[in-house]
Amino acid sequence: MASRPTVNVRTVSGEASSSLPLPAVLTAPIRLDVVQQVHKSIAKNKRQAYSVSEKAGHQTSAESWGTGRAVARIPRVGGGGTHRSGQAAFGNMCRGGRMFAPTKTWRKWHVKVNQNQRRFAVVSALAASALPSLVLARGHRIEQIQEVPLVVADEVESFTKTKQAVALLQALKAHADVVKVSNSRKLRAGKGKLRNRRHRQRRGPLVVYNEDNGVVKAFRNLPGVEIVNVRRLNLLQLAPGGHLGRFVIWTQSAFALLDDIFGTFDKQSVLKKDYILPTAKISNPDVTRLINSDEIQSVVRPAGQKVQKRPWTQKKNPLVNKAILFRLNPYAKTLRRQELVKQERAKAKKAKKAKTPQSAGKVFLETLLSA
Amino acid sequence: MSSDLQWLLLRKNNSFIVKRVVEGPVFSKEPGNLRNLNSYKYSGLANPKTIDVSASESGVTITTRKAKASPNAVAGASAKTVIRPRSGGRRALGVAASVVKKGYRPDLRAAALARVSALIAAQKEPKPSPPKKLRGKKALAIEAAPV
Repeated sequence: MASRPTVNVRTVSGEASSSLPLPAVLTAPIRLDVVQQVHKSIAKNKRQAYSVSEKAGHQTSAESWGTGRAVARIPRVGGGGTHRSGQAAFGNMCRGGRMFAPTKTWRKWHVKVNQNQRRFAVVSALAASALPSLVLARGHRIEQIQEVPLVVADEVESFTKTKQAVALLQALKAHADVVKVSNSRKLRAGKGKLRNRRHRQRRGPLVVYNEDNGVVKAFRNLPGVEIVNVRRLNLLQLAPGGHLGRFVIWTQSAFALLDDIFGTFDKQSVLKKDYILPTAKISNPDVTRLINSDEIQSVVRPAGQKVQKRPWTQKKNPLVNKAILFRLNPYAKTLRRQELVKQERAKAKKAKKAKTPQSAGKVFLETLLSA
Repeated sequence: MSSDLQWLLLRKNNSFIVKRVVEGPVFSKEPGNLRNLNSYKYSGLANPKTIDVSASESGVTITTRKAKASPNAVAGASAKTVIRPRSGGRRALGVAASVVKKGYRPDLRAAALARVSALIAAQKEPKPSPPKKLRGKKALAIEAAPV
């Protein structure tokens, strides 16, 4: 790479002041499949165990009546004096019976994901967050902001008031994304309402800082905004729902630290032992560029002349129309010619054979005239 | 990042996709999509050069992405042309065609012109409908009445 592209650092009032080189992580390969798969597994790790009661459906002393009573051999509740007596029990098909394969609290709730895969997913998600089109496609309202990735000065880390945070977002023209979240807040459908998940709302920007001098408290009350330390970047925040392209607002020192945290393509990470960024499988994914490259153009056959097919022409019957027949079956022409030649010959032969009247024989005449 | 790869990442799932009819066409709502179809050619997100034709208070606005803008730029990368209201169809189409004529996405010419003329037609004030003629008994009653 000749010169690495740079990213502007914006002051609190939103103007570009200095610039930083683009960290290598943000140019890492983006693997949607890896992100989705890792997200699916990681998202399972926050689940709480649940199960039905161990005793459910087994709190009777039912026993089977055995054969000979013209009823099914399912265990039946004993005794008398209540409707329950004589009813079937225990089975999953019985009223008041236990469920089939009762759920257990020792189900495998967590899924292990290999460390390198987890890192690959985070790196992919980070790279996707640096592409305006993917951030837009995720639904973030970033049409008015100047640049993606968005980097702000370190002053922000010492913000302590939400008022300052709002002013910053407005100066960056990023406040629309918070407004979007605010407007999206709806009552959740279903039982989740009773389980401390009353509302559902979109996700807003993710603020990534290096050192918390108050940023967390300044931003945490804004709807949809999440705040995270650069060293603790998390796939669930970088690609919520497994969808790439979270809108990330970096502080300057956090952004500068990325090369140390994730390393580059040829330099190991400082904070992750022996970690090097994954390399892309193909260096140039631009299909047009590949097709027009000398290597391919020198091998392919030259383009033939353009064939302009007229649409909606009248359909011709090849059994009747000779020209169409010959186009479909070039051999038909030879066949027809041979047939003609054959007929011609046959005719000639016939003509030759036609008997020319001969004069009557001598013997014949003699016998004829002798009478 | 190549636009081909970006398209592969967003074609299946993005916030603008509209799938309403089963087995029907897949539409897309993003700005810069001239036919509102979910396809690489018309995608306003994946392509490095896009033409956006949209209605605004000041007539029809044509927004293009500046060719020299950095791929990271968002707001600063767009160039705007405005077709003033009541410019008339010919002038409006001329403005739209001039964008394409410069070699900027010539493949989108037909789509851009079609969108401009659709917007111009929609912005036109409808003609007042002629007064209704009375028929039957009512017409006779009026005719019979002394003027």
